[in-house]
Amino acid sequence: MRQQLANQISRKGLSVWRVYGSILSLIVLAVGIGLGFLAYYFEWPIWISIVVGVFVVLHAFFSIYLFPKVRWERWRYEVREAEIELQHGLFIVNRTLIPMVRVQHVDMAEGPILRKYGLASITISTAATNHSIPALVTEEADELRNRISMFARVAKDDV
Amino acid sequence: MNCVIAFQCSQGWRKTMSEQRYKLHWITAVVETVKALKDLIGPFIVVVVVNGFKSESSGPWYFQYWSAILFSILLISILVSGIIKWRRFDYWFEDQELRIESGLFVRKKRYIPFDRIQSLDYTEGIFHRPLQLVKVKVETAGSSSGKDAEAELTAITKEAAGRIEEEIQRAKKMKMKIIGPVLQQNEELVLVKKLEELVEHPASAPVKFTMKTKDLLVLATTSSGIGVILSGAFVFLSQIEELIPFDWLFGELESFVKFGVFVIGIMIVLGLLLVWLLSVVMTFVANYDFKVALDKNDLVITRGLLEKKRVTIPLNRVQNITIAENPFRQLFGYATVILNSAGGTGESSRIKLFPLAKRDRVIEPLQELFPNVDFSEPSEKIGKRGKYFYYRLKLFITFLIVVAVSYYLFPYGLFASLLLPVVFTHGIWQYKTAAYAIMPKQLTMRYRGISRHTVFTVKDRIQSMEIDQNYFHRRKKVATLTINVKSGMSLDAPAIRHMSEEKAEQFLEWYEYHPESKE
Repeated sequence: MRQQLANQISRKGLSVWRVYGSILSLIVLAVGIGLGFLAYYFEWPIWISIVVGVFVVLHAFFSIYLFPKVRWERWRYEVREAEIELQHGLFIVNRTLIPMVRVQHVDMAEGPILRKYGLASITISTAATNHSIPALVTEEADELRNRISMFARVAKDDV
Repeated sequence: MNCVIAFQCSQGWRKTMSEQRYKLHWITAVVETVKALKDLIGPFIVVVVVNGFKSESSGPWYFQYWSAILFSILLISILVSGIIKWRRFDYWFEDQELRIESGLFVRKKRYIPFDRIQSLDYTEGIFHRPLQLVKVKVETAGSSSGKDAEAELTAITKEAAGRIEEEIQRAKKMKMKIIGPVLQQNEELVLVKKLEELVEHPASAPVKFTMKTKDLLVLATTSSGIGVILSGAFVFLSQIEELIPFDWLFGELESFVKFGVFVIGIMIVLGLLLVWLLSVVMTFVANYDFKVALDKNDLVITRGLLEKKRVTIPLNRVQNITIAENPFRQLFGYATVILNSAGGTGESSRIKLFPLAKRDRVIEPLQELFPNVDFSEPSEKIGKRGKYFYYRLKLFITFLIVVAVSYYLFPYGLFASLLLPVVFTHGIWQYKTAAYAIMPKQLTMRYRGISRHTVFTVKDRIQSMEIDQNYFHRRKKVATLTINVKSGMSLDAPAIRHMSEEKAEQFLEWYEYHPESKE
């Protein structure tokens, strides 16, 4: 068994995911209400309304509470001198190993919600793949980006 | 054009005033027109059919014949645009660059530095061959902007193509002179010699692989065609099956329906046979006279009967090598060898190096082409723990389908349960095939979808490595391992599924940096 990776992403990331979940739930709720009205007007059988209601509640529970929690607890990363290792996933846990010499460039991005929480995400690109670390505190993300690009500078371009 | 030249003059450091500009051969206009027409055939047929059924004879003439008028306008404009494309296309050599300008209103300029050019690919279509012309595709070291960096010269003479190659060689030699004054003396001699070789005997590169006519025939008959035959047989069988309820349902219509079904069945079989024959002929024509030659550090693949193609792949752009054997060909001991190249876009980055050859005869030429790759068979198996992951989920899904089919099509739907042993055997087969070998500088992975793939990847070509585990995997300590390899603009990701966790972690450890083993 390999060792657990050292770093977790910012606790505020969890809040951001909860915000995303809430927005999604609101949309689902709006659709649910719409369906409820339709059911009322066209006198659809009652079980349709019940199923829709249960779905809306369950969706809110999963997307606001459970999924962000599991995702956050699972998200780990480690930036070592010679490689980057990531671990994430909700149902399927994915562990990725990216050698520094393969890193081609590092991007940092902050959307409006992320920025409000003082967070940013980092995307690491190799010649073939992109990998991202979401929701890092901006200073930390800056520092990490600089570190990766410093380590990666020794990379030779041999594809 | 004048202003361009004036601008260049004002630069001051130019040695010569203006470079000679070249045009493409006039056949370009024809080729472009035909290409555009080919795209138009579909809509044309649709319009003709629709119009044919309506055929109103009232109204003014331009209303009656609107489609004919529309199409003649379109035809003329296509012809004109083909001619314009040819007239307004210039290319020339300047400043160590291949420069191309094209377009009527919007002049598109594309300057490609010679040392960014990886290879020139030649195609000789049916229009090119009688006039000794070639189509040249310029492949560059893939920038991230996709296929934007490459260029295509639709038709130029073979001498002109030779001239481009010459220019590139000269430019590379110049560069050597500037960069490496220390090794210039000998190096230059060698380069000059090579240049002469290239110009005078372009076909003298040693041939590493040719396809025998027998192999070519096997390739043609077993390519996608076999799927068509099998599905044809399946359709025919299902027709016979359907005869039974028809008999019973429509007593008096019996003979009529039977006859109809019979005729349709025959038609379908004939149609499939025709499609298959067509695919056989097309494969045969496309791969006729298939040759792989090694020209210094480039692989040169030539093939084709009517349309001759020549593709060049620099050896150092090859990312990994796959030997693929579909079950049918595996049975007769045949295999296909596929390369992933970092250059090219889309299909052109996944290249069939040997379209079909005896499995025991591919290793030797491969070893010659790639001396630092170990082509021995992978021997490590993935461990028993993963075995039932190969069939469990698939069996479950198939079972649901079988239940549904049996319920809705009651007596005959039960035949669907025959799928269960097939799915099970397939899963076991995949499990038995999976294998790997970890060598100090190379990974060999073997897995099966339907065909058996054996992938040889050198460590330096692996971009990243991943381990995936779902809930059941974690409980049984099993994992799926994927390596990511560049293939043109996209990704080749061979994976070994459901191997034991410790073994998957061996891969990660091997891939990690170890300071003591640093060369």
